[in-house]
Amino acid sequence: MADSEEAGFLNAERKMDRLIYKGQTAEQPNVLFVKLADIMKHANPLKTWSRKNSVWPMLFGLACCAIELMDFGAERIDAERKGYLLFRGTPRQCDVMIVAGWVTKSIAPRLKTLYEQMASPKYVIAYGECATCGGPWFESYNIIHGIDQILPVDIYVAGCPPKPENLFQALINLQKKIGGDIIGDSERSISPSVGRIQEKRL
Amino acid sequence: MAMSIMRINIGPIHPSTHGLLRLIVDVEGDTIENIDTRIGFLHRGVEKLLENRIYMQSPPFMEKIDYVAPMSWDELFVATVEQATGTEVKEGAQYIRMILLEFQRIASHLLWMGTFLNDLGQMFTIFMWAFRERAAVLKLLEDVAEGRMFYVNFRLGGMKSQPPSDFIDRAYGLADYLETKVPEYKDLIDNNPIFMQRTKHIGVLKRQDAIECGVSGPVLRGSGVYEDVRKSNPYYKFEKIKFSLPTMVNGDVYDRYRVRYEEIFESIKIIKQCLREYGSLENKDATGLKIKLVGPNAKPDPVIVNRELPRGEGMIYMVPEPQKPYRAAFRSPSFSNIFALKRIAIGSRFADLFAILGSLDIVMPDIDK
Repeated sequence: MADSEEAGFLNAERKMDRLIYKGQTAEQPNVLFVKLADIMKHANPLKTWSRKNSVWPMLFGLACCAIELMDFGAERIDAERKGYLLFRGTPRQCDVMIVAGWVTKSIAPRLKTLYEQMASPKYVIAYGECATCGGPWFESYNIIHGIDQILPVDIYVAGCPPKPENLFQALINLQKKIGGDIIGDSERSISPSVGRIQEKRL
Repeated sequence: MAMSIMRINIGPIHPSTHGLLRLIVDVEGDTIENIDTRIGFLHRGVEKLLENRIYMQSPPFMEKIDYVAPMSWDELFVATVEQATGTEVKEGAQYIRMILLEFQRIASHLLWMGTFLNDLGQMFTIFMWAFRERAAVLKLLEDVAEGRMFYVNFRLGGMKSQPPSDFIDRAYGLADYLETKVPEYKDLIDNNPIFMQRTKHIGVLKRQDAIECGVSGPVLRGSGVYEDVRKSNPYYKFEKIKFSLPTMVNGDVYDRYRVRYEEIFESIKIIKQCLREYGSLENKDATGLKIKLVGPNAKPDPVIVNRELPRGEGMIYMVPEPQKPYRAAFRSPSFSNIFALKRIAIGSRFADLFAILGSLDIVMPDIDK
């Protein structure tokens, strides 16, 4: 299945390239644009670099795990420093789909539609046990036993629900999967207030 | 010239519906003519699953019915089993349960406040603040119940374990912290003219309509009805505790917000009184029965138990067998609250739809079960 899908991506990219060149030849050619398209076509490292450092997740949640997804977006973790910029409201602007919650039979085709509406390359994270395998609802009559039955999954996150930190780690793993190291990964920093911290428990 | 009616589909996957809810809205110009609510996208048959499990296997399912306030549904189910088996709850455990449930109510209202303000377009300021306070509450619950979101902390006749030794001090500290932090929201919310314009006299649910729709909880009290299970049918030690019920008159979106805001402080009052009572108890033992393969046998009479959940009145009707339910049926507060949507929204403007929907504070798995 993976091979055919990859071939699909390549075909789509070739089509896009052809379209770009068509547009350029019909009218006044924009030199900069043609050059940029040429660079993007040949320079794969640049492509992967930009892809892996701007992974935009889709803003949608199904069930309980979506609350932890909200916590991920709130003050707990500053995820933007790694490039997961904003949760986008439309699948067309997204790179990664985080399936957070159980998938019922009625929502499965809609989930698939959402996945198909995303622009490739696209990635899927199964967040939590329900999305991984059905979780506690395994014996229910209305549940899909894991989203890998309908979508290709890149990363699984275990837990019921997993903590927001686990999602952070999953997104870092996804970046590693897309290719190479991550911006800011080799840097080390130390807090100016080190040694002066008094932990105040509430 | 009369405008033609346009049909707009919203959802089922939409950021502002707080879950999977599909609305089919007919609008004429900007006015909502008719609204059709489609539910059931998260249905997984909890009531059926309960029938194949012994009683104390079910709390993990019950917690996921309302994942914003999981402890309250867990407690409701355990209380039903306690009534069916005739188990007495220890006095210390009663106070601990009240404290934890009120903290859960505060966490639920804080999460609602953050997401509601997000829906209205005041992006992320209140959201961040509310989640900061909610994280502090969850930290305490995590240390008491050993779980961040789902706890499974209630046992027949008590709790899973004794609370930690510094529980009383920390709970006092947290209550004081919330009491100083939550009033800061008021500057951003009540003094904001945009918020007031978008909520005042919008989505009015009149007193008589509220009673006819069967709504409960803050939605009912926002319409001016003085009704709360903690007052009308007090359980645990709520008869001894002094607290008031915030009610409003107009029944608009602002009033529903205001009721929840005031309820946070009433919960803090309850928590402080309970901590004082629990601290003065001689026997602080709060541990319940351990889960065993064969627990205490239930009597065959059907039982019905109701509790005031953060979203309204929850109820379980159960026909017991000795070790597992023969049949259990739930009355979930969101399920009856969402029926008020049609009555409120018809005639109001389309732009106000999500302010109205947000003010009802629905949680979709609570509706779909």
